[in-house]
Amino acid sequence: MENVVELTNVTKEFKDFSVKNIDLQVKRGFVHGFIGANGAGKSTTIKMMMNLLQPDAGEVKVFGMDYKTHEKAIKERIGFVYDGNVFYEGLHLKDIKRIVAPAYKHWDNALFSQYVEQFELPLNKAIKNFSKGMQMKASLAIALSHHAELIIMDEPTAGLDPIFRRELLGLLQEIMLDGSRTIFFSTHITTDLNRIADYIAFINRGKLVFNNSIHDITENYALVKGRTELLDRDTEKAFVHINRLSTGFEALTENVTAVENTFGDSVVIEQATLEDIMFHMKGGMQHV
Amino acid sequence: MFNLIRRDFILQKWQLLLLIFIVLFFVLIDRQHPAFIFLLASVIIPINTLANDEKAETNILLNSLPYTRTEIIASRYLGSIVFIILATGVTSILLYVFNKPFSITDIAISSSLALLLLSFYLPMSYIIKPGYNFPVALISFLILSGIVPPMVSYLSEKFTSFTDFILKLSVPTLYTSALLLGLAFYGTSWCISSLIYRRKAF
Repeated sequence: MENVVELTNVTKEFKDFSVKNIDLQVKRGFVHGFIGANGAGKSTTIKMMMNLLQPDAGEVKVFGMDYKTHEKAIKERIGFVYDGNVFYEGLHLKDIKRIVAPAYKHWDNALFSQYVEQFELPLNKAIKNFSKGMQMKASLAIALSHHAELIIMDEPTAGLDPIFRRELLGLLQEIMLDGSRTIFFSTHITTDLNRIADYIAFINRGKLVFNNSIHDITENYALVKGRTELLDRDTEKAFVHINRLSTGFEALTENVTAVENTFGDSVVIEQATLEDIMFHMKGGMQHV
Repeated sequence: MFNLIRRDFILQKWQLLLLIFIVLFFVLIDRQHPAFIFLLASVIIPINTLANDEKAETNILLNSLPYTRTEIIASRYLGSIVFIILATGVTSILLYVFNKPFSITDIAISSSLALLLLSFYLPMSYIIKPGYNFPVALISFLILSGIVPPMVSYLSEKFTSFTDFILKLSVPTLYTSALLLGLAFYGTSWCISSLIYRRKAF
């Protein structure tokens, strides 16, 4: 399977935060969700994919090319959406198009007009007077109008109401239909991903915890609930993280068979949601 | 890259119109030296452009589009020259129309000073934190205008041989060398800005 984006051993250090040894592959033709808590390193990773930040060590390749020699060729094929508005806020959408369109060789005016109509966007209104949802739609219309093969989005659903979020996800599904497109987007709203993502990459405290297909994740992880008396030094080994409550314990495991062998019928094993995994992983790194 | 320069025209269509009125105002009140009007007209738009460009969002946008960082800086420097030429043209026309005398010397002085000012201001704007550009420019301008004239007169008295040498130069030679010196500063400044911008994180 061809990789559209490949991060190899990428490290970026800041004064009080770092992203360390990230190995991440984004496969062509799939929707990739990128999850992690606030401040886990999602935006930093995305910025390195876009060459807004250069890694201190490691390699970033997009479409098999590196930014040093092929910056323009790479960006020509990427559509981007950021969580805030990056367009000149005082300008009308019409003027923003006049600025952005000539940058791309494959800009498609007819396609842009089609999206403007579909999203009901006003051309003669300043971007700053758009609602958050409309700004997002405007970014998306621009990102989709130059036949980009890779759409990179940083928190596109943040601050949007549930109805609009669902509309957006439907739209993303629609643009995936032709099979050649790849979407990589970060979010901390995990329910968005259950609907459309094929792969999930999870970053925690600057480290990539996993990058697996949604199918593998639901198979590999499970939530285990039982009485606290069942836990001792040996049985605890089966868990990534344990949350002790007065009513019993709730724990995340990466090894469902081991848990079944150890505890048998004395515990309840449930499918872990992405949110369960995020919650326990974040705690797990601290305590166990 | 041509598109990046065109972008400034789209962004500042109203400011360009305003510029004409400002120049017209100074031409009509007839109190300022033509060289000053030329200089003012030359630097207003390039400095105003930087006010747009210092925003983080603008840099994220430009760097996400298929442009290299070298091109972004090049467009800024070439664009400023385009604006200087344009402003000089417009000012000349207005001065001519209202029958106010001016000479090539005025243009030579104003253009070299504009180049010199921008040579310092452009790289500075890529180092200073967004939002602080204008106050820093204003304060340094005030300090410089306080320090430089006494310093120059002090130096010219101390180094009379150098002053004599300059005074002996013919007027065209003097202003051509001033313009060339301005361009040399501008070129160096361009290289420095490129280096700074290449390492910037957004």
